[in-house]
Amino acid sequence: MLQPETHKPPRKNFAFLQILVLGLFCVLLLRLWYFQIFKGEDYAVKAQENRLRHQTIYAPRGLIRDRDSRILAENKPAYALGLIREDCPDIDRTLRQISTWTDIPIKQLQKRFSKDKGLVKPFKPQLIVSNLTYGELAKIESHLMEWPGLQIVTRPLRSYPHGEIVSHVIGYVAQVNEKELRQHPDLQLRDNIGKQGIELTKEETLRGEKGSKQIEVDAQGRVLKEHIVKQSVPGKNIRLSIDLDLQEHAWEHLGNNTGAVVVLEPQTGHVLSLVSKPGYNNNHFVQGIAPQTWQELVSDPQHPLQNRAIQSTYPPASVFKLVVTSAVLQNDTVSPEKKFYCPGFYKLGRRTFRCWKEYGHGWLELKEGIKQSCDVYFYKLGEELGVDPLSQYAQRYGFGSRTDIDLPNEKSGLIPDREWKLRRFGRRWQGGETLNMSIGQGYTLVTPLQVARYVAALINGGRLLKPQLLRNVPPETQKTLPLQEEELQRIQEAMIATVDEPHGTAWRLRMKGADIGAKTGTAQVVKLFEKYKDKETHEIPYKLRDHAWMASFGRHEGQEYVVVTLVEHGGHGSTAAGPVVKAIYDYLFDEAR
Amino acid sequence: MSPFDRRLFSHFNWTLLGLAFLLFAIGVMNLYSASSLRVESGLTTIYYYKKQLFWGLLALGVMFVCVAFDYRHLKALVWPLYGLSIALLSWVLLFGDTISGAKRWIHIGPIGFQPTEVTKLSVILLAAWFLSKVPGQVDWKSLGKLLLLIGLPCGLIIIQPDLGSGLNILLLVGGMLLYRGLQKRVLLTILLTLPLFAPLGWFLLKDYQKSRILTFLNPYRDPLGAGYNTIQSQIAIGSGQLWGKGFLEGTQSQLRFLPEKHTDFVLAVFAEEWGFVGCSLLLALFCFFLYHILRVVDTSKDLFGAFLACGVFFYFFWQILINMSMVLGLMPIVGIPLPFLSYGGSSTIINFALLGLVFNVSMRRFIFKHD
Repeated sequence: MLQPETHKPPRKNFAFLQILVLGLFCVLLLRLWYFQIFKGEDYAVKAQENRLRHQTIYAPRGLIRDRDSRILAENKPAYALGLIREDCPDIDRTLRQISTWTDIPIKQLQKRFSKDKGLVKPFKPQLIVSNLTYGELAKIESHLMEWPGLQIVTRPLRSYPHGEIVSHVIGYVAQVNEKELRQHPDLQLRDNIGKQGIELTKEETLRGEKGSKQIEVDAQGRVLKEHIVKQSVPGKNIRLSIDLDLQEHAWEHLGNNTGAVVVLEPQTGHVLSLVSKPGYNNNHFVQGIAPQTWQELVSDPQHPLQNRAIQSTYPPASVFKLVVTSAVLQNDTVSPEKKFYCPGFYKLGRRTFRCWKEYGHGWLELKEGIKQSCDVYFYKLGEELGVDPLSQYAQRYGFGSRTDIDLPNEKSGLIPDREWKLRRFGRRWQGGETLNMSIGQGYTLVTPLQVARYVAALINGGRLLKPQLLRNVPPETQKTLPLQEEELQRIQEAMIATVDEPHGTAWRLRMKGADIGAKTGTAQVVKLFEKYKDKETHEIPYKLRDHAWMASFGRHEGQEYVVVTLVEHGGHGSTAAGPVVKAIYDYLFDEAR
Repeated sequence: MSPFDRRLFSHFNWTLLGLAFLLFAIGVMNLYSASSLRVESGLTTIYYYKKQLFWGLLALGVMFVCVAFDYRHLKALVWPLYGLSIALLSWVLLFGDTISGAKRWIHIGPIGFQPTEVTKLSVILLAAWFLSKVPGQVDWKSLGKLLLLIGLPCGLIIIQPDLGSGLNILLLVGGMLLYRGLQKRVLLTILLTLPLFAPLGWFLLKDYQKSRILTFLNPYRDPLGAGYNTIQSQIAIGSGQLWGKGFLEGTQSQLRFLPEKHTDFVLAVFAEEWGFVGCSLLLALFCFFLYHILRVVDTSKDLFGAFLACGVFFYFFWQILINMSMVLGLMPIVGIPLPFLSYGGSSTIINFALLGLVFNVSMRRFIFKHD
């Protein structure tokens, strides 16, 4: 068996360790006695006095400006009343006092308090009243010392000086909901977060970072000393490509119509104007929208919250004839040189498809077909091309897919084909549906912005550009239309002829010294009943009236623009949308002179 | 002799195990209180006490592994383990993940661990083995050798930077040396020259470390900045008075600003709720705990075992002493947790592992007794 080793450390060393432990622990005990017994009362008082507090330093949200630095979204100070539960000796009494200050019913305050209680971090002020008037502020400020646990919280609040005019681009900020609170741990209850428009899509850029400071207060709550723990970082400013003057101009000229206007720079894809009417006052959302206001917005038959330029889809009507033309020029099976005769109708089987011109256009070739927007001519082109090739070309030109503009909830529209029909309805594609599709009716649905992107590609050499809302962003080519320069040229010439030559449907846009090309469109909402057949637009019930389209481009002294307008239930493209587009060109080119 | 000798069981140090469990239980209870505010908030809820319980169970498993074999086999592991810790420490310095300014962590898949913890074990083993070979008092030569061996991993830890752990290792080796006994002239020379190094050390300190020392000397120098933790923890402790405010009643609101209330400053939470009476009992428990480890040092029949237990004793002793002194404002702030009370996964595991080694030494002492 093993023998114990002999050269053990001497016993005194072991005793030394025991004394070391006992001695040093006695020192600790003495120190504890000093703090807890000898000075205990003092410290208890200090703890009661609660001398140190934490405060949030809010970071101002980044400003949003237009292309010439005019302010579209800014911040204004707002005063809120916060309650720190842990510092408040009698919450119910305090709530009652708040009720007498602000005239908010006590029941409502109690409900608000208990509803949000669980979402506030301990020792952070829970905002009971989020917007105090100056009168209330003065009243409360002078009594604040008597109410421990109450705090005036100053926050920068969003303000939109131009309200509804740019509402669909800017969107709005509103209070975070529970889900967002969980996703963004740096946010607190009643903080605002981007919910719509560019405020939503650029949230990360705009928000900034909150800071915090510690403040030392005396027993009466007076601030003795401040210490910034973390400086706040303001959100970054952004500059949009939108031209506020142009936006206002377009807004005005849409008048009382419901509709959308899109103005693009065809070479860069920059969006100069994106109007959707009616708009809404986005300032209403910032401090929590009143339930009544919200109800009015949601139940309004005009749907003011809808951004018609990107979130509404419409049949493209005759504007789609440009797409058919592009397809024909690109496709070898159909000759663009072929002439067709329009007698005013086209018979397919037992069905008769009418041209908009009752007695027909006579013999037509491509340019005249576009210029006079002859339906029969395009029935024939479409029939020769076939639905699936047409559908493929349309998709290549960006229809049926989102433009990826920096705005939320964009619709992709719809370009049907045989397979889609079968899948969607379980029925086969009918020959007549191809004819309908060739004149932009039927299942086909597009957004005004998609049309604008496509027209821009027709005149910038075939580049399908992402519509850019930010000023300092280089052009981003999404696709290139597989069209030759001569072919693009040919479409442009036909569009210019539509404006400049006799019988052109867009003659209203004619302007001296400027090259303006356009295509009108009149989208049927329903098949009109016989009884409205010969009626004027204003005699037809509003909901049954046609949508009016005008897709155009204009060149003048080196400037180039694409302007697309849609007027909902406006009637004829030329009469309803034409004057709006004309006014925009007058403005754009007048300024240049 | 089978490894499952009945005597192993009957010689098991149940008192020491009971004390450790009691301390751990107090720790979990205290963490429950420290995190109860967060639980109430409904947001960012972190159940520290639950996680700590999980770590405790894991640590128990590790402890049983450390008890299962004859500790003398560890002698063969001294050098491989030493080499491994140096390798891991170098690796972490070169490729480790930086968390709040320090490179301490190695991540393998979802598991992260600090090589520092392995180093503590390795250094204790190395020093125990080394000192068991030294016949009589330590002379210059042996001291130089040992310090060189220990200095390398300590240096690597201090430049991470993790001053607390580096200091802990140096001090525990120092304690073992004192127990072994130094030659008189060696001891005297060291005691006399050490103060001369103090000013030199000042220049080696980083700015935040300097400010901690200045703050220690006068916490009210910067009450909202560097002195904040010290002042707030003192208010919390002091306001506990004789009987304390009671379990879960420690709403000393200042504590909310205590960033380390779950870890290094956990004593402040305890002291506020349990008062002077509770703290005295806690100190007594720690005292008994340390005393029972010392008993193992004293009763072990081989030197390696004695020094092993001695190393573990100092490992706990310095941590308890430094942490409490720091929270009680007797020392500048260094990041050293309070054993069994502070929250921490790797520290809980290493604590029970080292305790396992003490049990190992304690229950196998009869091997040497009679035939």
